[in-house]
Parts: sequence; C-alpha cells; structure tokens
Amino acid sequence: MDNKQFTDEKLNMFIDGELDTAEANELHEAMLQDPQIRERVCQLKAVRELVGFAYQSPPRSNHDRRVRQDSGRNTFWKGIAASLLVCLGVIVGWSTHQYSPSVIAGTTTAKNVFSYYTEHAPVKHTGRNFILHLSTSDIGAVKAALDEADNLIASYKRSNTPLKIDIIANQRGIDVLRVDVSPYIDRIQKMVADNDSVSLFACERSIAKAKVREGRDIVVMPETVTNRTARELIPERLNDGWVYIKV
Amino acid sequence: MEIVKKLAASFCLKQEFAQRRNKLYQIAYSWCHDAALADDLVQETMYKAIKNRSKLREVATLDTWLYRILINCWHDYLRVSGRHVELFDVRDDRIRDHSDMYQKLQIVDRVRSSISSLPMNLREVVTLADFAGFSYAEIAKIVDVPIGTVMSRLFRARQNLKEQLLDMSNDEALQLKLRRVK
Repeated sequence: MDNKQFTDEKLNMFIDGELDTAEANELHEAMLQDPQIRERVCQLKAVRELVGFAYQSPPRSNHDRRVRQDSGRNTFWKGIAASLLVCLGVIVGWSTHQYSPSVIAGTTTAKNVFSYYTEHAPVKHTGRNFILHLSTSDIGAVKAALDEADNLIASYKRSNTPLKIDIIANQRGIDVLRVDVSPYIDRIQKMVADNDSVSLFACERSIAKAKVREGRDIVVMPETVTNRTARELIPERLNDGWVYIKV
Repeated sequence: MEIVKKLAASFCLKQEFAQRRNKLYQIAYSWCHDAALADDLVQETMYKAIKNRSKLREVATLDTWLYRILINCWHDYLRVSGRHVELFDVRDDRIRDHSDMYQKLQIVDRVRSSISSLPMNLREVVTLADFAGFSYAEIAKIVDVPIGTVMSRLFRARQNLKEQLLDMSNDEALQLKLRRVK
C-alpha cells in the first residue's frame, strides 16, 4: 500500500467521516499495514481534538452572568406570576369544562409542538471515546496519563458531553493495574467507582508473559477485563473512531 | 386556535434558539477571541433569527440557518470595523510567543493562539468542522462556498495547525502525557 496514494485531503475526509464505506475500508487496511499512514491520521486527529477541546470553556458571556443574576432577583415575581397562572387556569378550566374534550384533542399544544421540534431538530450530542494505552509502568508517565484522564472526565462533565475512556494496559503497563505492585490502585479504583464511563483492560498476553517471567500469578484489580489482548482491543476501537492516547 | 398554534410554535422556536445560544457563543468566540464581541454577535444573531423566523422553512435546517446568520453578522462586523483584510490572509506570528508554554494550563491558550493566527476564512471552517461538528455539506451552506472550497480550506487550516502544534508534543510537560493521539 502506497503512503502517497492517500492525500491529506483524503485523510481529512476520513477523520471527518466523509469517505464512503469502500474508501474508508481501504484506508483502514492501509493504516493497519503502514505505520506512516497511521501516523498521519493520528496527527490530523490530534489537531481536530485540540481544536475541539480549545473552546469547550470560553470566558463566560455577559448573557450568562445576566441570566444568573436575573434568575435570583426574579424568583419572587416568578412565584407570584405562577400562582396567578394557576388561578387563571382553574377559572378558565371551570368555565369551559362543559365543552367536549374531543374538540380540543388533536390540536397543536405547546407541548406537542415542542416535542415535534425536539424530535426533528438535529441536536448534536457528539460524545467522544478515548483509549488510554498504558505500555509502561513509569511512575511519572502513569501519573501524567491519569491526570489526563481526570482532566478529560472533568472537562466532558462540565460540558455535559458523554465520554468513555478505556484504559488498556499491556507490556509493563499491566503493573499499573496490579494490586500488589501499583502505587495507583486507590486512585484508579476511585476513578472507576466514580465514573461508569471508565473501563479497565489488561492484555491477556502480557499477563501470561509476566506470569512466566516472575513465576507467580499476576493479580490485577477485580474491575479489570483480562480475556482480550491489546492487539485485538486497540484496532477494534480505532476502527470505531476512538481517540487514541498512548502513554 | 390558529393564534394559539402560532404562539406555541413561536414559543418553541425561541426555546430552540435559546438552547443553541451557548454553542453559538463558543463558535463566535473561536472566531473573534473576544468575549464581549462574541456576546454581541450572538445577541444580534438571536435578534435576527427571531425577527426572520418565518423564513425558516424546515426545522431540520435550523442549525445551519442560525450559524449562517451568525457568520453574516461576523462578516458585517469585520466590514464595518474595517478589519476585512483579516478575512483572508493576515497571519500574526507574534501571538505564538508564550513564555510558559510548558505548563499544562497553557495548552488551550496555545491552541487558541494557533487558531487565531489562521486567516479568518480557514478559522471559520476549521472551528465549524472540529468544534461544532458540522459536515462538509453543512459548512458549505453556512459559509456559502462550494464543498470543494470547504475541503481545501479545512486541509490548509489543519496543515497550518499541525505545523504549529506538533512541536507541543516535544514539550517536556507533554512528553509524559501524549506520545501519539488518534
């Protein structure tokens, strides 16, 4: 597969989901075989993620500040208005109760017009999925990776955007999930307990190798999935458009 | 009953506008990097959208329609303020200088600075694609250019950002966190 066959325009279309299925599959194949293409796609995706991230929290607008101030100030008057509306509703309801409900049924109400709009308008809730790939047990690197995960979780929570993080450990990275070795067990356990969106995977093959190397059973955190290899898990997710962060 | 229908529809449409306000503000901010100006642009967009709501024929195109109004307001502002040159090819490298770019909290600033150094036509397209998540066809409608132009602008914008941002991965602080991102 020729690296130059895929222009940057085409790779842009790929990461934006604008290629047709046949072309996208061809590129997937090329990515699996050619690390240079993979790298180019990674770089473009990184740029896209950075742009997406840069404006998640711009300075708060004056409108927001006004709304917050007004909402506190107007609570009393809103209460009065709501009470008046309830009274008005009772009076109107009582005075018109003799009319048949069938005359009213089927007409446009605020509620059904609203649901029409909410069903038909293309509201975008573009959640993001991240792979955090740990292939080292270096304390500084792992700390930085966990900090990154915490930041992602906090940032997506703030913007009410769905987020999923799969922490996939292989090679020496599995030490991070080992209960008898890792200095980060408590932190990771808390992260998993506090966030349904975080899942842990330890590479089956790396566990087997470590077992042979150390001559003892490898015990990882109970929340960890251990029946797949990183080699299977990572390409699967990349094909589904997950963002890949390698530590 | 007709009046009630119209009132309800109008109320709902205003709700729809309000729900999109925050995203419009974020995009406006990504273009002008000025909170007060972004606020004004969104305010004007809302005013025009409510005033011209009868021109919206299909609710499915509400997003594209609103962003089209926003970009028109933005271009009007640039014209009136005499900054229309920036629309095409001014590049300001001075804002790339950061004394503390190694600090994590500066990453966002660094990315924003890189984006602000892009020519405006590239900046608009890249933020609509990467931040607002519009498809090429939708961006073409909003910016009112052919899809091919959207693609080439996006290509140039990302190429430019890639060059500016790639050395971030050489930063000491980042080396620990991100080696490769896909």
